Amino acid sequence: MSRDEIKDVILEIIADIDEEADFASLDADAPLRDQLDLDSMDFLDIVMELRKRYKLQIPEEEYPQLATLTSCVNYLEPKLQHV
Amino acid sequence: MAAYRLLIIGGGLSGIAAGIRAARFGVKTLLLEQHRLPGGLNSYYIRQGRLLETGLHAMTNCAPPGAKQAPLNRLLRQLHLSRKHFDFHEQLGSEIRFAGRSLRFANDPELLETEIARVFPGAVDRFRRIKQLIAAYDPFADVPWRSARQFLDDHLQEPFLADMLLLPLMVYGNAEEHDMDLGQFVIMFRAVFEEGFFRPGGTMREFLDLLVRQYREYGGELRYRAPVEEILVESGRVVGVRLENGEVVAAEAVLSTAGIPETMRLSDWQGEPDRYTGRMSFMETISLVPRSQAAALTQERTIVFYHNGPRLHYRRPDDLLDPSWGVICFPGNFSGLPPEELVQIRVTNAASYPLWKGLSAEAYGQAKLRWTLAATCASEEFIGNYRRSIVYQDSFTPLTIERYTRKAEGAVYGSGVKIKDGVTPWPNLFLAGTDQGYLGIVGAMLSGITIVNRHILR
Repeated sequence: MSRDEIKDVILEIIADIDEEADFASLDADAPLRDQLDLDSMDFLDIVMELRKRYKLQIPEEEYPQLATLTSCVNYLEPKLQHV
Repeated sequence: MAAYRLLIIGGGLSGIAAGIRAARFGVKTLLLEQHRLPGGLNSYYIRQGRLLETGLHAMTNCAPPGAKQAPLNRLLRQLHLSRKHFDFHEQLGSEIRFAGRSLRFANDPELLETEIARVFPGAVDRFRRIKQLIAAYDPFADVPWRSARQFLDDHLQEPFLADMLLLPLMVYGNAEEHDMDLGQFVIMFRAVFEEGFFRPGGTMREFLDLLVRQYREYGGELRYRAPVEEILVESGRVVGVRLENGEVVAAEAVLSTAGIPETMRLSDWQGEPDRYTGRMSFMETISLVPRSQAAALTQERTIVFYHNGPRLHYRRPDDLLDPSWGVICFPGNFSGLPPEELVQIRVTNAASYPLWKGLSAEAYGQAKLRWTLAATCASEEFIGNYRRSIVYQDSFTPLTIERYTRKAEGAVYGSGVKIKDGVTPWPNLFLAGTDQGYLGIVGAMLSGITIVNRHILR
């Protein structure tokens, strides 16, 4: 998957978790949680959805690497390169 | 390989919510319910062609759609249910009536403050201070038990008002007698006085159907009339369950919502079931009155919390029933509900499980009639007379609750001592529901969600 495709997947997953999520003014380098008013339970859903779709096991200590949209893409790019 | 990755005992709200979470993320799950209907403590039954709800008076934690961190909205996101699926109706307004003094409250928290200023003018500044303390309090922090009564004595310094505030919070979410944990008090204060009451349109049946449909759409399996007889343990691990019909179902993990004492009994968990047996149970009387004769009774109120006497004694009564305090609910009085031809009046009073349990079958029937009348008469002092207009009446006791829900001694809020992490002596047996810690409909569902997130999905 390309970086843009990964970004779209993340946004699609978030939109599915929260039907009110507004991406219009999203800063890709600022924490997703604060900007979208998500909590740790929502965050777990992003991880779970990635596991369900791509059989990706993300250990809990690596959750912080999913903090911003850019860091998500950086973290997922090598893991999803053959998808 | 076990047939299921997760087996859930109990198709109440915590069990169904847990099931939705697990199934949503691909965990092969089977939900076992002993009864032929879902819902557990919040279910329904049909009498003379009429659907009557059990449990539900109102849901707490009302929240507008945009409030993302509100428990109700977090819950719906976790279950992947859009608010568009629901038709929610807010309460018209409720009242706390104590020996001639009355405080009204509604989903706008300003009303309660105005009422306190009117009835207890000397205490309103201290009440405002209490609201600030509650706003700053983290009820989920892992701290030792603290007395809510002591907190109110220290900061409100008005025992009569303290009792008035405590009654709705205790009767809708306190498993302990006499006092409640400050954290639980804060949770309930926010849920009742700040967020407020609402209910889904339609009946509990439609609400439960929607949840069960969501569970099944994710591939979750559900069996009714499937009472569990034993949780099977081998070499220190749970391996599945045996049903009452002898069938064995293997699973990698089991989540029990049957309460701690019942889970101990099922799994041969060597503990002290008495320590975890709640003492608060209730009798509820449902009366139906023709609309033409009910207007003066309901007065546009949703719930009336009443008490007659000097100090409130929230405890298991010394008699079969204690009608000196209780709850009168008009389930039709939520905004926007279509008027029903028959108005429902539900009266709930504390009842003593051991005294009901000790009665012979014949004496039980007589006691039910006698105490149904006592409960009706007690409520008439607060809402006016309706006894002669009743066209249908039915009551259920702590024994009924225990029979249908397996909650030990019919304790609707479960054990006074909770196991908040949901952990048992077996590494793959977990607890959710009332004995895990979150109470009420919203609380029960959050309990199922939290435990699955923590122990099954991670």
